[in-house]
Amino acid sequence: MTWHVPEDDLRAYAHGELAAPALWSADTHLASCDRCRAALAEAADPVALDAGWERLDAELDVPRPGLLEGLLVRLGVAGHTARLLMAAPVLRRSWLGAVVAVLLLGVAAGHAVRTGESPTLFLALAPLLPLAGVALSYGPALDPTYEMAVVAPMHGFRLLMIRTVAVLTVVLGLNGLATLALPAYGLHSLAWLLPALALTATGLALTPRLGPVLAPSLVGGAWIGLLMLAHAVRAGADVPLAPFTPAGQGVAAVVAALAAGLLFLLRDRFDLFQGRAV
Amino acid sequence: MTPTVSASGIGLRYGGTRALDDVSLRLTGGVTGLLGPNGAGKTTLLRVLATALPADQGAFTVLGHDPSTARGRQEVRRRLGYLPQTPGFHPDFTAFEFVDYVAILKEMTDRGVRHREVRRVLDEVGLADVRGKRMRKLSGGMRQRVALAAALVGDPGFLVLDEPTVGLDPEQRMRFRELIAGAGEGRTVLLSTHQTEDVAMLCHRVLVMAGGRIRFDGTPAELTARAAGRVWSSTERDPGARAGWRTGTGSFRNVGDPPDGADLLEPTLEDGYLLTLDGAGAEVAA
Repeated sequence: MTWHVPEDDLRAYAHGELAAPALWSADTHLASCDRCRAALAEAADPVALDAGWERLDAELDVPRPGLLEGLLVRLGVAGHTARLLMAAPVLRRSWLGAVVAVLLLGVAAGHAVRTGESPTLFLALAPLLPLAGVALSYGPALDPTYEMAVVAPMHGFRLLMIRTVAVLTVVLGLNGLATLALPAYGLHSLAWLLPALALTATGLALTPRLGPVLAPSLVGGAWIGLLMLAHAVRAGADVPLAPFTPAGQGVAAVVAALAAGLLFLLRDRFDLFQGRAV
Repeated sequence: MTPTVSASGIGLRYGGTRALDDVSLRLTGGVTGLLGPNGAGKTTLLRVLATALPADQGAFTVLGHDPSTARGRQEVRRRLGYLPQTPGFHPDFTAFEFVDYVAILKEMTDRGVRHREVRRVLDEVGLADVRGKRMRKLSGGMRQRVALAAALVGDPGFLVLDEPTVGLDPEQRMRFRELIAGAGEGRTVLLSTHQTEDVAMLCHRVLVMAGGRIRFDGTPAELTARAAGRVWSSTERDPGARAGWRTGTGSFRNVGDPPDGADLLEPTLEDGYLLTLDGAGAEVAA
């Protein structure tokens, strides 16, 4: 064993003052290192030592945070917030795998089109991913603990925002990486970003009225319908679809801002059950 | 004694359906049973009292707070325990992690305090030995106890349990009854159930719902007394009975208005419940 708990950390541990994640490292290490346990005994008075053993005993059956949860804590996310994020289905491997697969498809299609054309499939699919991700992290049909969460004192809108930020960070990050795989299109391949924000914010803003399944479904359907319409009226294959032109991007920015404002106004509606039962 | 719940004229409509219709009740300490057929409005009533759904009509307070305001709702939720009809779980969470997650939702952000509370409630429901097991590996009864442990986090003053014994075998049900009885000491518990035995064994008071209305509010003995003189035995099914079935002894047990000279039997709580539903216009299964 090459690493041992530093003396300062041992003293803090003995006095119950060591904070996570150093506390978790110390717990795990002390369970298997005689040398550090002996050092802990010297660093603490007997009463504090007994309390320390009791704490250690309790800690040993507390689950260790997983790789992603531990990473979030190391990045400065509070432990309890990281635990809340771990309950979001969109941070599971199956969902992330699906996102990566869709993006690879879009990127491959982007490489297949002729020079001068727009990577339309990629730009069309990328905004749908955060919309779907946010939808999948919320609601009675998709969050198994939804009903317990609704009646918890933590405001429903706060929980929704924590998960939305996590989804947007992950999915927009992956979208961004996929964009880097399309260097030939320059900034034009970033034209998915504002529509993505507009669709996500609109889907959430409509949720209190339409429900957490219908609202994002309708918004996603409307986006596809809009693209089909734009495709039908565009002048030629070399011209980008209307939503990906500068004017279209401006409209997306306005829609995103308006939907975000509406969402904020409706925030208390997320504190109540969105479903029905008799 | 200040009631834990005081409700007057609560109504709630879904589209054209009146799920709750002029419901008034007062709940104080101990376990109160809520009986009713499917679609009676039990779950809706529990969700309204648990602050998950807003009522369209009427007024009520829970633990002295008005849930129709955001602040009142939050105050109620701080002292509320809620076990939904089908509690969902994250299958990859351990029992400890699941209860820990619910404790975070209950604003317990201090890790040490929270983990002590998680251990306490898991001990209380007798699951200290399996707290490291994944939820997907626990039996249905154990999962239900984990959900009860989650509801008990923070020592709530009002505990709402929506059909917690559904799907449990008799031994698990008996174990669960012990836990509910223990939970009812020093706090108010509202227990929705289809099992009249649950009410007979656990509750000091029972409400019967049908068609969104409260049809009976009294003690289990009073509900049983509704069937006094209205349960009789016969060798054939009595066509005049509201309900009748052949028992293990071969004779028929009939519930309804007995003929003259009928061989009257001692009524049960279930008999009183069936007759109350019958009087409410609900279908009585024979």
